[in-house]
Amino acid sequence: MNLLASKDNLIRWLDLLLHEHVVIAPVRVQGLTLFQPISKAEEVDLDFDNTTLPPKGWFLPPTETLFSVQRNDGQTKLVPAMVERDALIFGVRPCDARGIALMDKPLLQEPSDALYRERHARTVLVGLSCRQARPECFCTSMGSAPNDASYVDILLTEIEVGYIVQVTSKKGKMLLPESFTEYEGVLPTPPEPRAVPIKDVMPAMKGLFDDTYWERLADRCLHCSICAYVCPTCYCFDVRDYSDRGNIERVRSWESCQSSGFTRIAGGYNPRATKGSRLKQRFYHKLLYFPEQFQDIACVGCGRCIKACPVNIDIREIIDDLQQLEAKSGA
Amino acid sequence: MNLELTQQIRDQARGLLKSGTVKGVIGYERASDGLTARPFFAYELTGTDQLIFDETCSHNLVKYLLDKKGEKMAVVVKPCDSLAINLLLNEEQIKREMVFIIGVSCTGVVETAWNQKSQTLQARCQTCRLPKPVVYDFLAEQEPIRRLEGELYPDILEMEAKPIASRREFWHEQFGRCIRCYACRQICPGCYCPECFAEQLSPLWVGIRIALGENELWQTNRTLHLAGRCTGCNECERACPMDIPLSLLNRKLEKEMEELFSFRAGLTSEEQPPFATFRKEEKLGFEE
Repeated sequence: MNLLASKDNLIRWLDLLLHEHVVIAPVRVQGLTLFQPISKAEEVDLDFDNTTLPPKGWFLPPTETLFSVQRNDGQTKLVPAMVERDALIFGVRPCDARGIALMDKPLLQEPSDALYRERHARTVLVGLSCRQARPECFCTSMGSAPNDASYVDILLTEIEVGYIVQVTSKKGKMLLPESFTEYEGVLPTPPEPRAVPIKDVMPAMKGLFDDTYWERLADRCLHCSICAYVCPTCYCFDVRDYSDRGNIERVRSWESCQSSGFTRIAGGYNPRATKGSRLKQRFYHKLLYFPEQFQDIACVGCGRCIKACPVNIDIREIIDDLQQLEAKSGA
Repeated sequence: MNLELTQQIRDQARGLLKSGTVKGVIGYERASDGLTARPFFAYELTGTDQLIFDETCSHNLVKYLLDKKGEKMAVVVKPCDSLAINLLLNEEQIKREMVFIIGVSCTGVVETAWNQKSQTLQARCQTCRLPKPVVYDFLAEQEPIRRLEGELYPDILEMEAKPIASRREFWHEQFGRCIRCYACRQICPGCYCPECFAEQLSPLWVGIRIALGENELWQTNRTLHLAGRCTGCNECERACPMDIPLSLLNRKLEKEMEELFSFRAGLTSEEQPPFATFRKEEKLGFEE
């Protein structure tokens, strides 16, 4: 049974949730929409296309301390990082929720990433269906949908009189207030994002590793890390020890396969020294290596990389091109 | 699409590729949104049909010459972009004989984002003093060319008038958002160090933390390294996914360089940027 929350009741519920959770929700910051901790429900902007950055930063923060070592009076103490409070992420788009489910695959497989696992266990996801498919969207081709409730605890779908509330987990059920009424109406028809045929992309990639296509594409690529940092499924990081008068902190930060410093290894050798080889790595990881290892393509079709790339490297175009190239070479 | 300029660029590109004068032509083509432009490399004659020019051609293509040092390339440059050619010639990063410059006389480019094109000229175009490239081998021309006379630094003057504390607060808010994707650096024709100071591990100049303190160190150092070198193409600000107003920093230094040294980067390839020169008679600003 679905429920219905009037807009007022939804706001009241959010304020209630703030007592026991860190609530992270879309907030307008200049021209951007960012997931930020809020202190009042009215700070939330629910009229957004999608957020500038995905919610992954609350599971794998841009920067976090993994542990610190403190020295005092000849004593050495190792202090592990702690997740302090339960969190609730409000207004997550279905594609981004799937992004977290995809990050789970490498990060929760044993040996799992302790801080990520801890945050995951203590976070509830309240999703928000998309009323419109944006020009950059292609979620239905990547295993999700504008109204997909599979990866959230609660999914909200806006209708004229408020929000339809679908509860999909025990965690979600426990948070519901009594003010929500039963809703017997039907769910609205979801919008239809652009379809990107993907059936032949894995076999195509296997045959095209040395194709000049990659060099040509790399001509245009700047090798910044925008695509990786706006991606809901990219999870690479760098680790560094900071020391200050005997105290040590081990810090990790987002990093990306596009940066040459990231691929350089001990001794100074860089196995991916050229622009083309790093660009290729991005797409091989998403479209071949990750699905070979974890069964799913590491893309949710949110289109952020398409929108944010300063030189228009468009993953949909690349998926099309690769399949066409392979079809031509096989013919 | 500006048919007049597009045709001249295509004809020129065809001639250069046909005669073997260049290995490739770096220009613009239509982006995947069907609306804006993106960089395009034409290596074959057939590719030249994809070349376009219009008011969405914002990218400064001079950056790509740094990747193609061994091959003679042609490059399409707007007047503002041409300043970066002089910068790179002066700093001996490119060789004049290895570049064929297809200059374009420009009436300004508009604000764009993927699938979005505004009707408004970019702020830098609204005060542009440079209707023709400062260096070129061929000029694709159009009429009429306007010379704009708007105030150059109204936003900088406004910022300078604010008390230090509020400027600091403003920049902390901006730098706090930086995600250190380095798009500002990667798109900048003046940023070409084989290993950026921000990525040197030994010694570690800037840490890996994506957080205010280290972001600020990155951003202020980036700006200072471009003092007297930034040619004002503003691609860094356009590329920034977090909407950090980098032009406020770059143009503040541009203004300082003009006031202190009467120097503007890129106007010629001969004059060294002030920070790359030292004269014995220079005052260092402390007890001498």
